[in-house]
Amino acid sequence: MNNSPSFRDVERLSAYLDGHLSPTETARLEARLASEPALRAVLEDLRQARTLLRHTPRRRAPRNFTLTPRMAGLRPPVPGGVPLLSWASALAALLFFCTFSGNLIGQLAPRSAAPAAAPLPVMGGGPVESADVFTEAAPLLAAPAEPEAADAARLAETTPTLAATPEETIFAAQEEPAQPQAKRPAANLWPFVWLALAALLGGAALLLRWAARRRFRRKYPY
Amino acid sequence: MEEPALIRAAQRGDLEAFNRLVLAYQEALFNTALRILGDEDLAADAAQEAFLSAFRAIHAYRGGSFRAWLLRTVTNACYDELRRRKRRPTTPLDPEGDDGEEVESPRWLADPSDSPEQALERAELEHAIQHCLEALPLEFRVVVVLTDIQGLDYKEAARAARLPLGTVKSRLARARLRLRECLQAFWELLPAAFRLLEERGA
Repeated sequence: MNNSPSFRDVERLSAYLDGHLSPTETARLEARLASEPALRAVLEDLRQARTLLRHTPRRRAPRNFTLTPRMAGLRPPVPGGVPLLSWASALAALLFFCTFSGNLIGQLAPRSAAPAAAPLPVMGGGPVESADVFTEAAPLLAAPAEPEAADAARLAETTPTLAATPEETIFAAQEEPAQPQAKRPAANLWPFVWLALAALLGGAALLLRWAARRRFRRKYPY
Repeated sequence: MEEPALIRAAQRGDLEAFNRLVLAYQEALFNTALRILGDEDLAADAAQEAFLSAFRAIHAYRGGSFRAWLLRTVTNACYDELRRRKRRPTTPLDPEGDDGEEVESPRWLADPSDSPEQALERAELEHAIQHCLEALPLEFRVVVVLTDIQGLDYKEAARAARLPLGTVKSRLARARLRLRECLQAFWELLPAAFRLLEERGA
């Protein structure tokens, strides 16, 4: 009979050492251990190896392995309002650009195109108005007033420039702004309103980001 | 804060909580890497890499032994390092003196709390074990380091090494037998304290 332990026996002995055998297997193995010196010798070898390994000197870590935010790829969180403010600021900037460029185009437009531009844009378009507009517009406005003399007289009283000759109209328009010009200053403010709004919203977004970054640095000072 | 709370905080992206876990486990990960790789610098790199991977993947941790989960990351980092080392061979563990001979007890092995004799004994034991571990095939070495050196049970070791339980049992038995044979060669050189320890079956 061959008494040298098989590899299955070695496996069982190793598991037995670690308490990983079922009670039945343990009882069976212990019975064999009592009668087989070769099996006992292998068990002793395994025990010695395990004991030595368990006493392997432990080294101290040569340094700390803690992670920095940079190593971990962390960035300060973006506050909830920042995207909204950024979009609103971009929109305001776009409106500023549109209004401003609309005004600029109006200013640069040839004089012949002025009658077409007579109905003024709702928002701004301030610089489009010129003396020509009023001189050409005057007859049109005056025409329906002709049939009735009383009306014409009233018109002449209230809006003397409309009834005047073109030369006088130019002179008057230069001297004293006509009625539509009363609305112009308000209309010309729009680009600046958009610009201020864009700056305000953009500034608020930057401020929120800065505050978040500061909180982040306080939390992770390394 | 308790470990589960730290893990939950780390899963929410709290780096500070994760770093507290790093401090608790860095020696275990470093020593595991050191025993598998046999080189202090490579082991430190592997441990650092393992913690970085662990932070990136911590949302995937679904309970169980966190230690075993971390040891799996360091085992993977060691495999990666060994693959790299195969492509670019590096210097051996034991440093050489001016005469080209291996330094038996290099200064960096010493623990300042040991007496010179104890330091020498520790160094001899460590040298013997490391030598025998490196003689093992990698797959055996990983299992024996996880179970006998890091003290994981079979299930945890199977999880850490991504192996079936039966494979862990079988590899561990083979590894122990081979180590015993190898360590016998160092028997007379081993410190008396350790020989007595063995004889008592500690």
